[in-house]
Amino acid sequence: MIEVKDLTFCYRESSEPVIHHINLTIPDGQFVGITGAAGSGKSSLTYTLNGIVPHCYPGDFYGSVTIDGKDTCETSLTDISQLVGSVCQDIESQMVSSVVEDEILYGLENFAVPKEEVAARVDEALEVMGISDLRDRAIAGLSGGQKQKVAIAAILALKPKVLVLDEPTAELDPASSYNVFSLLKRYATEHGITVIVVEQKIALLSDFVDRLLIVENGTICFDGAPSQVLEHADELLALGVNCPRSTSLSVALRQMGLYAGPVCKNVEEATAMVKEVLR
Amino acid sequence: MIEFKNVCAAYDGEVPILKDVSFTINDGDFVAFVGTNGAGKSTTMRLCNGLLKPTSGQVLIDGVPTTELRVSELARRVGFLFQNPDRQICCETVRDELLFSFKAQGNAGPEAEERVDQIIETFGFDPAAEPFLLNRGTRQLLALASIIVTAPPVVILDEPTTGLDFRECEKVMRIVKALHEQGTTVIMVCHDMEVVADYAQRVIVMTGGKAIADGPTFEVLRNPQVLAAADLIPPQVVDIALRLQQAGAAPASVTSANTLTEMASAIGAYCAKGGAC
Repeated sequence: MIEVKDLTFCYRESSEPVIHHINLTIPDGQFVGITGAAGSGKSSLTYTLNGIVPHCYPGDFYGSVTIDGKDTCETSLTDISQLVGSVCQDIESQMVSSVVEDEILYGLENFAVPKEEVAARVDEALEVMGISDLRDRAIAGLSGGQKQKVAIAAILALKPKVLVLDEPTAELDPASSYNVFSLLKRYATEHGITVIVVEQKIALLSDFVDRLLIVENGTICFDGAPSQVLEHADELLALGVNCPRSTSLSVALRQMGLYAGPVCKNVEEATAMVKEVLR
Repeated sequence: MIEFKNVCAAYDGEVPILKDVSFTINDGDFVAFVGTNGAGKSTTMRLCNGLLKPTSGQVLIDGVPTTELRVSELARRVGFLFQNPDRQICCETVRDELLFSFKAQGNAGPEAEERVDQIIETFGFDPAAEPFLLNRGTRQLLALASIIVTAPPVVILDEPTTGLDFRECEKVMRIVKALHEQGTTVIMVCHDMEVVADYAQRVIVMTGGKAIADGPTFEVLRNPQVLAAADLIPPQVVDIALRLQQAGAAPASVTSANTLTEMASAIGAYCAKGGAC
């Protein structure tokens, strides 16, 4: 379980806190999506969950963050990284090897994973990301999307208890993005891994996550199931967060007096809604 | 005009990335290239402005093969916005960054200064700001501005909205739309199918290094065979329309809708006529 208690954080070089009095409890196995406008503090919030704050980015840290009962301020970054796997926004900065297979092996070797497990973990990570054919390819010759898949595979191979991903599908095509989110959902459901993902693609978040957090000015403005949060479509737009077109269609039909149900969070729900309206 | 004639391309001379690709982009077109990662879209863009030369076939810009054009001439004719603005930005102030293209083309002078002033005003930039201290969205806008400041007749945008929030995305695309309306040819690689649907007039679908479909945006995006072959997910309203059509659950006026407004209006009209609502 992750517990954030009255967290306020101000980067050393900044005069204003980037996180303001956040309280948050995330149970094991929950798939949490975080979104908000640029500069809202969503990436900083994830840095407090994977220990980057305060271990790499020092500053004024008030309150506490505990992962499985371990206070991130009192636990070394090495120990936190055994629990929390992270995929950075800038994947180029995460890559350390020149060949795909070596990139997957790097973390496994550093974590001293038993030799007999290594081959199976590499195979599985490459397979679930659909990049087995890239195993021997030079990373420099991969497309941005392919590199992103390698970065995610390298973290999945470590089998962390918590996965924190900052815009993991930014450079992926829609089908690959969908596949990554399906995979993350499966990891959360079947393996009890807590998945926290910062993402701008609201349609993906709405479709997959259990819980959606909207961050603005370092605070959590909305926190709930996607269908609950999307009920606030107008307020979200004012915060710079768009809604999926499926949601907008249900809102439009409501305004026309043709529909009185809850907002739709995906294409399946919107299709069913239109069928109902036309019946 | 940009013409691809039976173009093949490879980075290491061995593994082919593009396989016999042919198309023509006319002056004033707004074309989106879509397809999965590794389909060859970004490679196609690099061929369009001569960053990469074909291993066989020809890429012609205004009738001249890119192999015969000097780099400065290519840059004057085709502006290129990279996927990652940090690969493009190289100066210490916003103003210097905007002047850089003119200097690189040997055109720095009073006219360049005047044009830079105009762009600074249009984009609302702080000319003294350090580019690398700007946020991601503003760096993307700066990279775009530094391309269009020299007014190239063709602009190539490699995933211009990646990593931007909704407001930043709207701002970038409004500027791109205005450019197109002023006559600039826009060629865009984009994974966001809602952006493609909202802005592009024509779509070229790539998969496995080949262009498998080329036509008006919604004609292509409503073609189930093309969507399946290229592993594409259509924009949500089109997706809803196609599902309703397949289920025979809605009149043609609704299933032919491409946009949110069109679909809501068609449903409203059907119900008002006494449909069964």
